[in-house]
Amino acid sequence: MSPTSAAAGVLVAAAGAAPAGRLRRGWRRVLRRPASVVGGVIVLLFIVLAIGAPWIARTDPVGTDWSQIRKAPSWTHPFGTDDLGRDNFARVVWGSRISMQAGVFSILLAIAVGVPLGLVAGYYRGALDQVLMRLTDAWLAFPFLILAIGLVTIMGPSLTNATIAIGLGATPTYIRLTRGLVLSTAAELGAGDLRLMARHILPNIVSSLLVQATVSIPIAIIAEAVLSFLGLGVQPPAPSWGTMLNAAQQFLESAPWMAWWPGLAIFSLTLSFNLAGDGLRDLLDPKDY
Amino acid sequence: MLEFLIRRVAISIVTLIVISVVVFTGVRMIPGDPARVMAGTDADAAGLEEIRAKYGLNDPIPVQYLRWAALAARGDLGRSIRTRDPVITTVAKKLPITVELACLAVLIALAIAIPAGVLAAVRRNTVWDVLASSASLCGVSVPNFWLGIMLILFFSVRLGWLPASGFVSFWESPTANLQRMVMPAFVLGTALAAVLMRQTRNSMIGVLSADYIRTAYSKGLAGRAVIFRHAIRNSLIPVVTILGLQAGALMSGAVVTEQIFVVPGFGRLIVEAVFTRDYPVVQGVVLITASSYVLINLLVDASYSLLDPRIRIGGNP
Repeated sequence: MSPTSAAAGVLVAAAGAAPAGRLRRGWRRVLRRPASVVGGVIVLLFIVLAIGAPWIARTDPVGTDWSQIRKAPSWTHPFGTDDLGRDNFARVVWGSRISMQAGVFSILLAIAVGVPLGLVAGYYRGALDQVLMRLTDAWLAFPFLILAIGLVTIMGPSLTNATIAIGLGATPTYIRLTRGLVLSTAAELGAGDLRLMARHILPNIVSSLLVQATVSIPIAIIAEAVLSFLGLGVQPPAPSWGTMLNAAQQFLESAPWMAWWPGLAIFSLTLSFNLAGDGLRDLLDPKDY
Repeated sequence: MLEFLIRRVAISIVTLIVISVVVFTGVRMIPGDPARVMAGTDADAAGLEEIRAKYGLNDPIPVQYLRWAALAARGDLGRSIRTRDPVITTVAKKLPITVELACLAVLIALAIAIPAGVLAAVRRNTVWDVLASSASLCGVSVPNFWLGIMLILFFSVRLGWLPASGFVSFWESPTANLQRMVMPAFVLGTALAAVLMRQTRNSMIGVLSADYIRTAYSKGLAGRAVIFRHAIRNSLIPVVTILGLQAGALMSGAVVTEQIFVVPGFGRLIVEAVFTRDYPVVQGVVLITASSYVLINLLVDASYSLLDPRIRIGGNP
C-alpha cells in the first residue's frame, strides 16, 4: 500500500466516523487557522512529490557525473550537485519517497501492534493488563533512538529495519492511547459488552489515532533521517535526506548547498505535518459532542 | 504519600528487571556463538573459554540470565571488545562529558522557555503569544542534526567565531570548554525549550485563572508581584515532570549532537560501538541509559509529590 492510499483510507474512515454536522463545524474552525491549511497543502505536495518522483526528477538520483562534482545551484542543477556529481534536486525529490515510506509505514506498524494490545489490556484488565503495562513501562524507558540503535545493531542497517525499529519505538504510545480510550468508554458505558464497546470505541479510536499519527509521523520522519545520518538506516547510494546530510557535513566550506536542501526538506515536511495536525485536532476534536 | 512512593519504587524495580531481560535477550538474538559475540572475532580459544566460564554459556538460559544480572548489578558489564577495558570504566569516563552537555542544554532550554512561556501566557492572544508559539513549533519541527550543521556553517565556517568540533575538559580550560560546548548544548536544548515553553504557557494560563490569583489581585497586589511571587512558582510544577519525561529525548539527542560536534561522550561511544560491533559496550550503554531513565523519573515523581501535597496517586500511570 502506498503512503497516499493509506492516508486516504484513514481519512475516509475518520470522515465516516464523525457526524456530518460536527465535521462541518470543525471545518469552519480549520479555515480560521490558515497556517493549518497551508501545512496540509505542503504535506499533500510532498505526497505528490513522493509518488511522482520518476516524472518530477528527470535525472538519475544515483547516477554519478565526475565532470559535475560539487557544482553550485544553476539552471541545470537547481539545488546544485554533490561530491559525486549527482543532482541534488533529484536526490531530494526521491528522498521524499523514502522519508514518507519510513514515516507512514513505521506508524502503521505501531498502530497495528499497539491498538490490539491496548484493546486487550483495557478490555480484560486484571493480571494481563498489569503485565502489558509493566512491559510498556520498560519499553518506554528505552529512549527512542537508543532503542532504534539497539534493534538496528541486532537486525543490521537498512530502510526496512530502520522502519521496524522506529515503529516498535512508537508502539507503546498507541498501546497506552487505546487502553485509555477503552477504559474511559467502559467507565461511561458501565459494562463490558464487547459489541457495544466496539461501536463506541471505534469512532473515538479512529479520530484519536489520526490525531496521534500526525504527531508521530513527523517524529518518525526525523528518526529515519537521524538513523540514516548516523549510517544505521538507508545505505548509500540510495537518496535519503539523512545520508545526504551526512555527506554534506564533510563539504560545508566548499559546497554548503549540499546541506541546505535536504535539511530544508525535512524541516518543511515536519513543520507542515505539525501545522496540519493542529488543524486536524480542531477538525476531529473528540471533546466536541 | 509513603504508600505512593513504595508503589512507585516497586513498579520501577519491576521495570528495571524487564529492561535487563530485554537487554540480555537482545544480545542473545545476534546470530552466532554468544561467546564470540561477547569476545569479538579476534578472540583466541582461551579468550572464548574465559567468557564461557564467566557467563556459564553452557548452562540453561535462565541460569545464564541470573548470572549475568548478578554481575551487571555489581557493575561488571564485561569488557570492550575493542579496547579490552571494562565497559563500566569506559562509560564512567564518557558519562561526565554527556552530563555536562545535557546540563548546559537544560539551562539554555529553561532560560529560553520560562520567560517566553510566561510572556506568551500573560500577553495571551497578542503578537508575543503568536511569536512564542511559532518559535516553539519551529523548535519541535527542526531536525537537531541539521540545526547543528547550519550553526557550524554560520558560526564556524562563515564567521569563524566558534570552533566547529572537539572537546576540552572544563578543568583544563573553562573558556575553551564552553566555547566548544555552547553550540552542541544549544542544539540539544532547542527541542526541549520548545516543549517546555508550550508547557509553561499552558500551565501559566491555568494558574492565572485560579481563585488564589484573583484573591492576590483583589487584595491590591501589583501585577508583577502576583506573577512573580505566586503564578510562576505554581505553574512550574508540571514543568519539572516534563523535564523528567524529556530525559529520554535528551539522551537520544545527545547521540546525534555528539556525533556532529565530535564530542567524545556517551552518545558517540554507542555509535562507535555499533560500527565496531562492540556488543558488550552497546549492551552496557543501552542498559545504563534505560535504567537511568527509570531512576530519573522515579526521582521526578517523588519530588513532584513532595512539591505538591495534593498529589496522592493511587491508580495506574
